[in-house]
Formats: sequence, structure tokens, C-alpha cells
Amino acid sequence: MSFLSYQHFPIFTIMLYFLGAFLIVVFGKAKALRHAVAFLCTAGPLALLISLIGRVMVHGEIISYWMGNRTPVGDYAIGIALEVDALSLFFGLLVATAVFVACLYSFRYMERDHNVPQYYTLYLMLAGGVMGLVLSGDLFNMFIMVEILTFAAVALTAFRNKVTGALEAAFKYLVVGSIGSTCILAGTIILYAQARTLNLAQLAAVIPGNFGVSTKLAFALLFIGFCTKAFIVPFHPLAADAHGAAPASVSVLISGVLTKSGIYGIIRLVFFLFQTMNLGTMQFWLVFLGSVSMFVCVTMALAQHDFKRLLAFHSISQIGYVLTAVGLATGLGISAGLYHAMNHTLFKGLLFLAAGAVLHETGTTDLGKLGGLAKKMPHTAALFLIGAASISGIPPFNGFASKWLIYQATYQKAAETGNIGFALVTVIALVTSTLTLASFVKVTQSVFFGQMPEECKNAKEVPFGMRFAMGILALLCILTGLFPGLVTRYLTEPAAKAAFAAGNYINAMMGQGYAERIMGAAAPGAPAVSFASSGVWSPLSWLLLLMIALLAICVVALSGKYDKVSVRSSKEVEKKYQLFYGGETQSFSQVGGGDLFWGFKHNWRHYFSFMHDLHSGIVNDYSLWAVVALALAIVYALIVL
Amino acid sequence: MLLVLNALKYLAYILIFPGFLFSFLVGMLLTGIDRKIVARMQKRVGPPILQPFYDFFKLLGKETIVPDAANRRVFLLAPLVGLAGITVLQLFIPVFHFHVFDNVADVIVILYLLLIPALAEILGAAASGSPYAGVGLSREMVTILAVELPLLLVLLAVAKTVGSAMGRGLVFSLSTIVGYQELHGSLITKLSMIPAAVAFLLIIPGETGSHPFDTAEAETEICEGMMAEYSGAPLGVYKLTHAMKIFTVVSLFVALFLGGIGAGIQNLVAAIGLSGAFAGALSLLLQILVLVLLSIVLTIVCISFVHAITARLRIEQVFKYYWTIVTCFALVSLVMAWYGL
Amino acid sequence: MITLNYIASFFLIVLGLYCIVVKYDLVKTVIGLSVMDYGVNLLIITIGYHPGGTAPIFTAGEINPASVFVDPIPQALTLTSIVIGACVTAMSLSLVIKLREMYGTLDTREIRRLRG
Repeated sequence: MSFLSYQHFPIFTIMLYFLGAFLIVVFGKAKALRHAVAFLCTAGPLALLISLIGRVMVHGEIISYWMGNRTPVGDYAIGIALEVDALSLFFGLLVATAVFVACLYSFRYMERDHNVPQYYTLYLMLAGGVMGLVLSGDLFNMFIMVEILTFAAVALTAFRNKVTGALEAAFKYLVVGSIGSTCILAGTIILYAQARTLNLAQLAAVIPGNFGVSTKLAFALLFIGFCTKAFIVPFHPLAADAHGAAPASVSVLISGVLTKSGIYGIIRLVFFLFQTMNLGTMQFWLVFLGSVSMFVCVTMALAQHDFKRLLAFHSISQIGYVLTAVGLATGLGISAGLYHAMNHTLFKGLLFLAAGAVLHETGTTDLGKLGGLAKKMPHTAALFLIGAASISGIPPFNGFASKWLIYQATYQKAAETGNIGFALVTVIALVTSTLTLASFVKVTQSVFFGQMPEECKNAKEVPFGMRFAMGILALLCILTGLFPGLVTRYLTEPAAKAAFAAGNYINAMMGQGYAERIMGAAAPGAPAVSFASSGVWSPLSWLLLLMIALLAICVVALSGKYDKVSVRSSKEVEKKYQLFYGGETQSFSQVGGGDLFWGFKHNWRHYFSFMHDLHSGIVNDYSLWAVVALALAIVYALIVL
Repeated sequence: MLLVLNALKYLAYILIFPGFLFSFLVGMLLTGIDRKIVARMQKRVGPPILQPFYDFFKLLGKETIVPDAANRRVFLLAPLVGLAGITVLQLFIPVFHFHVFDNVADVIVILYLLLIPALAEILGAAASGSPYAGVGLSREMVTILAVELPLLLVLLAVAKTVGSAMGRGLVFSLSTIVGYQELHGSLITKLSMIPAAVAFLLIIPGETGSHPFDTAEAETEICEGMMAEYSGAPLGVYKLTHAMKIFTVVSLFVALFLGGIGAGIQNLVAAIGLSGAFAGALSLLLQILVLVLLSIVLTIVCISFVHAITARLRIEQVFKYYWTIVTCFALVSLVMAWYGL
Repeated sequence: MITLNYIASFFLIVLGLYCIVVKYDLVKTVIGLSVMDYGVNLLIITIGYHPGGTAPIFTAGEINPASVFVDPIPQALTLTSIVIGACVTAMSLSLVIKLREMYGTLDTREIRRLRG
């Protein structure tokens, strides 16, 4: 095995981040050097992982790597392993992309902050933690990485400690996050007590089929632990608090990357370690949690009046979609869920960066204090609109492609199982999508359009570096929306297939035939997975048609002097060009974000006031929710597994 | 040469039939008839049926004023995008047997494509900076929220009914749904689909923003809401988009529930003893005629009658109405379809 | 004897959680976190324990099927876990200091600017 063989790439990927973190501590004082190190250490992993796409995604190879070449002895894994199958690589690519783009953005965005070197150190630690988690083949290492990323995320949340709520958010996150981490540790060690191994592949061969009480307990503990990381309901308030206070580039990581690590953990847990996804009760559990998350969080988002806090709730709502789709345990479902996970990283990253740009220029993210910024920041506004259209699932952007697949998958599941409950999930998903749209109409109206308050008059377009980073994400949003066929064929379907092929995963790590030897007839092979869907949607043709129609209409309109009629004769204030105020003179009046959608909120007022009181902001309450969730999970696991 | 011919053919589809020109004419006609009928029901003489055409062409010649507070580019571009959106959407709704582009979008996509004109309008309204427009767009969004839920339930019920009848699980493709009806009779003749059809009929006025669900552009209280600042050609384009949307929604109803009529027309033509290209053309012509007639009837029933006898609802009443009564109808249908009743 | 360890670790974890949920003082919350951590550490050590086992230190050739020793892996895990626990405690205490400076109180019921 030569030094530059591709088998070393996973470990290089992880180490580059940590190396970068270390180098910045040493050399971080010089700005140019710092930026160079940060750039190389985020671009490097991305390049390494992209070079693996061909082998892992297309040819289905599983890269297993034993640290120090300590391969298994006598069917026992004694070394520490990295294992990269299509699923790991898929999440790894998401992580690397988000980290790279947010890093480009940080160069200009963090300029005005103090202690910038520490920021990059923590940033790279967080990135390394998540990357280590998704590429690891060892349960305890997963725990270590969870701790590293939680720790870095808490520190980054509190990074701007002068911002209202930053410390508070960090503390709450730390407390509940630690409960989650402790759950993961306890679950890990209980599994170890049962199987005397920490290797994922070996565990996946030994555990399924031998569910004792302690194994079930371990399952519940691990599940809740990863739910904490994904901020699934009831852990969603933490995400909202943390995103609101953290710098935008960190929010991108927390929402686009950290939550994905939780989802990744859940997938590994239910599809590999325990292989329980063939149980209807398990599917119900995941779909239920996902649906509740997507609905509760989108309604919470509607009630928000802070840009970033609103985005944070949407983030969990979208994670709910992912969990729901994955919980269907059909080929189409998992593929759709992973597709949505990818899109979520892209569009939510874009939206957070746009929110950061607004904060950068105006110093506030309060929807009530903003307005009319599209005139001052046209590029940011356009990029934001792309992100907003994507998350609201407007064709032909990427959010629509994946949501459409999720509707198909849920309804198809309903038809296959004859269970009308899954049709209800389709309905919830679509209503959530419309509510998301409403919420982004609100943001668009109160931040970028409408009238401009005096305080925003000095805003100007953000530096090119920041727009460039947003541009990359916007471009990816459009491309992944226009070519769903390519995305599913080369990214999500191999990953979804990998989720069903636990047998391959075990054998790649422990040697050929191991799974069959240990598990006998129960060994999961690589079943044929169907990705067929009954709908049709071809975004390219639609876009082509729209473009032709638009072009024709524009040609006619412009030749008819559509835009020239209103040429002004003088620069002076003319009554004709003022807004209509029922005869009064024009004065500043912006329809505030909080007042929009009264007709909807009025009908739901009891629900909204109940939810408002429930999210009390007291850390004890959130801890109590965590404990209750843990207790429920344990009871459920003991009953159904 | 073939490529050029093909390109010309598709261009004709987009611009003439069943795209822009056709839906432009029918949409305007429907609006004119609607105004006339409402006037007669209120014992007024009413405008001539061609009045919407006159209005439209007159608006094109009027001065366009862009307010100082507005974001000029978005303000002017939004109406055009909305018009293009509705034009393209019209291409995916089959005229009975005749359909082009049936491999582009299924019913779920159409549900979303119906949003695009409304969204373009919302964007343009937001860009105008007017507080009236702000209130209007808020109401429009709530109306969308209100209508979306029952509409989705109707579509799911249809997809399930046709799917289980054809033994394929689910059918989302609109042309397949119409094709099924041509073989087995219109869906409205099925017991389980009647509540869904009723729900859809109740959705039509909400989706097209006509009385009593025109809260979003209530002239008397918020001065046309989203269109408060629009004038001249952009306003004309909006009026046109609204007119075309009426036709789109109505013809969607025909495709979903009355698709079987197309087979009847073909049988009729065959019964006369005609065949060949001439018969095809005649049958197409008859189908178009029937579609237009049905659209007129549906417009009168769902829009004009309702318009004449109701007063405008408040926005929270609109929401409540759709999420309770109409949703119940749709839900009954879905459950019946699900259990094969 | 070993059962007592399991009971004790369970008791410590529950005590820690109880402390986090019920006590409205930031410092007590941190203490709760630590106690919970110790509970898990005790659990790990107990799982690796073999009655009558020796320390798992052998050189090549010394080990034979008859030798009884405690499982070394949990001990390594415990060390890691203790280090992480110490980091979490340090981090949370530093946050508590900052919070006290900013809010002038240690009561969690008053540190709730982010809510709803």
C-alpha cells in the first residue's frame, strides 16, 4: 500500500482538519498565513473525497482502513478502523462542501471580530469532528468525535459573547448536548458489555437477532443521543438558540453539518448496528418523530421575528423531512431523504449566509427593524431568493426535486402497505412545505422588500468574497434541482443501496464471509432496491418551456416599451411617483413580519400561545424534555424490539 | 429541416394552442361572461362580453408608473414571470384526448406550478413597497395556505382511485388519468369521487381569487391589495394572468373529473363514418369546443353564481372554511378511495 | 459485590439528571453534569471488571488461556471519558462565570432571553 494510495484518503481527510486547527494555533497571528492554512485545510478534504466518488459511489467499493494496519485477528477487531461506504462518503461530501464554502465566507465575514485565530481553530475542530464521525468505523471513536464537535459547537456559539443570548444559548446547548453525549457513551459501553467489541462492522454482525434487555436499553440511549445531535423534537429549542447567536458561518455548520451527523448516526444505528428497519414499529417511530419535527418546527418558525432564529426552526423542520423519508425504509424513501439532506445543506447554508450578510451590513437580524434591502444589496437579495425558493420547494430548484420525491415515497409507501397513515404523512409534508413558503414570503417582504427604515439607509452590498461563497451554494442549488437524475444516480441511490447492504459493510471490514459465518441465514446481503416512482417531473424541459414563454413575452413587452413609459421628467419629488396612501402624504409604514398571516395565526391562536409558553427558555425544562424523551424511547424500545 | 419543423411545432404549442393564445382568448372570454352574468343577476345591464379584451388593450397603452419606493426591476419583471408560468402550466393540462408534453409534470408538480403566478404577484407586490400591497400579499399567502390542503387531498384521492383501478398502485400522470377515464368513464360517475369533485368545485373560486374569497384584493378596503401600485401594461398583464388562471383551474377540473367526455366525442365522430386526418381535426375541434363550453358552464356555476350571492369573507373565515368544510369533503373522498368504496 | 457497582452507577446517573432537571442554580446544573459523568465512568469500569483479575499488563509469551485479568479497553475508555468530562466542566464553568457577569444572576429561571 503506497503512501498516496486512495485507501489513506479518509484518514487524511480527517487529519487535515485537525492539522489545520493545530497550525492555526501556532501560526494564526498572520492573517494571510491563517487564511492560506484554512483554505488549504478545507479545500483539501473536499478534493480528497471527490476523488473517491468514482470508486465508492459508482463501483460500490467499500474502503476499510485499519489504523496501524492492525487487521482483525481471529474474527476479532482489535484495531481502530475507518470505514467508508457510499453512505459515509455521501455525508462526508456534504460536510466537506459546507465547511469549504462557509470557510470562504468567513474570510471577510469575521474580519471585524476579535480572536479570529481561535475562531478558525474551533471551526476546523468542528469540521474535523463531524468528518471523523461520518468516516469512523468504530463506535467509541464516534463518541469521541461527537464530544469534539459538541464542544467546538458550544464554544463557537458563545464566540460572539457580547451578542444577546450567545452565552445563554451556549450553556443550554452544553447541558442538553452533554446529556445526549452521555447517552451515547452509556449506550456504547452497554453494547460493548454485550459484544465485547467496539467495531461497527463486528457489532453489526453480533447484535442483530440477540436483543436482550440491555441491548434494547443501549439502542434507546444511542438513538436519543443521536437525536440530540440532529435536534429532532424535543431538542429543537437548542438549535434555535444556538443558530440565533452564533456567527452565520457557524450556523451553516451547525445546521448543514452537525444535524447531518445526527441523521447519519441514526441511519447507522437503525440500518446497520441493529438492523431493525424491517420492523413496522421502528418505521412508525422514525416517521412519527420526523413528521412531528417538521410540523412543530415550521409553526414555531412562523411565530418568530428574528431572521436567524426563524431559519434555525426551519432547519429542524427540514431535518424532519429527512428523518421521515429515511424512516420509510424504502429505496425511494431513503434516496429522497438523502437528497433532501444534501439540498438542506446547500439551501440552508445559502440562507444563513444571506442572513449573515444582512447582519454584517445592518447590525441586526430583527425582522421588525429591516426592510427594503433589495435596493441596497441586490445580489444578496437575489441569492437569498434562490435559497428561499429552494427551501419552499418552488420548481425547478432543488428543494422541490427532493420534496417531490418525498411525497412520492410516502404516498407510495401508503399504497404498498395499505396504511392510510402514510398518506397523512404526505399531507403533513405538503402543508409544512406551504407553511415554509409562507414563512419565507414573510422574510422576503420584511427584509428585502417593503419600505426601508432610516437605520438601513447606510447598508451596502457585502464584499465580493462573501457573495462568491453564497454564489457557489446558489449555483449548486440550481444544478441539483435541474439534474435530479444525475444526483440520484451518482449520489443518493448508491448511498441508499449501501444503507440496505449491511452485509457488504460487515464483510468489507471483517473479511469475506464473516457476516454469513456469524449471522447464518439472517445475514443481510445486498438486496435489490427499487427506486421506481410513479410520478413524472422533468425540470429541464419545464425550464426550457418557461424560458421560451418568458422570452416571447419579454420580447413582446419590451418592443411595446413595457419598461420605458415611466421615464421621469425631473429629479424632484413628484406626487405621481409616491406610494398611494389613500390621499395622505407618503410616510414610512412597513407591514411588520409579525403582523403578516394574521388570518392563519388567528385560527391557530391557541396552538401558538401554547407553543410559546412551552418554549420557556429555561434550561431545566429542556433537560426535562430530554429526560422524558429518553424514558419514552427506552420504554418503546423495550416493548417493540 | 425536421428539427426546424419540430421546433416550429413546439413553438406553436407554446404560443398558440394549447398555450398562450388559446388560453388568453378563452380566459378573457370566461372573465367577460362572468362579469355579464353577475351583472344580470344583480339586475344590471353589465359590460359587453368582450369588455376584458378592451380593458386589456387599453391598459397596454396607458402610462406605467413605478413608485420611487419600489424595486424597479422586480416590480416590472414579476408580472411577466407570472404570465409565463401560467402559460407553461396550461401546456400540461390535456384537452381531453389531446395532450402535449405529458412527460414533464404530474399532478403534484401542477399543484406547485399553480403557485408560481401567485408567487410572482406576491413578489411584485412586495417590491412595490406599498403597505396596502403588504396586507394584500399576506392575505394572498393565507388564501394559498387555505386552498392547498383540500386541493392536495383531492389530487391524492384521484391518484389513488385511478391507480388502484389500473392495478398500478398510484397514478400521478395527468394524461394517464384522462386516458383511464376515456376507457372507463369519467371519474365523477364514481361514488367515491363525488365528494372530491364537490371539494374541487368549492376550491375553484378560492384558487382564482374571486368572490367571496377575493379578500387578498379587496378593492373597497385595501385598494386592490397587491395591485395597489400597478398601472398600465403590468396591470394589464396581471389581469390577463388572472383570466388565464380561471381557465387553467377549470380545465384542470375537466381533466380530472370529466375526462371521459373525450371518448364520447371520438365515438361520435367515428359513428358519423368519418376517418383519416379530417376526422382527427374534427374530433379535436369538437373537443376544444366542448372544453370551452364546459369551462363556461363551470365558471358560471362556481364563480359567477357564487359571486352574485355572497359577500366577501374575512381572511380568517376563508382559512377556516377551506380547512374545515372543503377539507372534510376531500377527506371523505380520500378515505373512500382508499378503502375501495 | 459487583451488582452494587451497577446500582451505584445507575443511582449516580439518575442523581445527576435529577440535579440538572430540578435545580435552578447554574453551578448545581454543572455539578449534575459531572455526577452523571461519574456515574457513566463507574459503569464503564464495572463492565471491564473480572473477579480476581490482575492488571492487564503482559509481555509477549506471558499470556496464556488461564490468565485472568480485567478488560483493558474499558479502562482506556474511562480515561478518555474522564478527560472529556473535565473539559465539559471547565467549559461550562467558564460559561457560568460569563453568564453571571452578563445577567447578574445564577438562577436559570432568569436566564431566558431566548424563548418562544
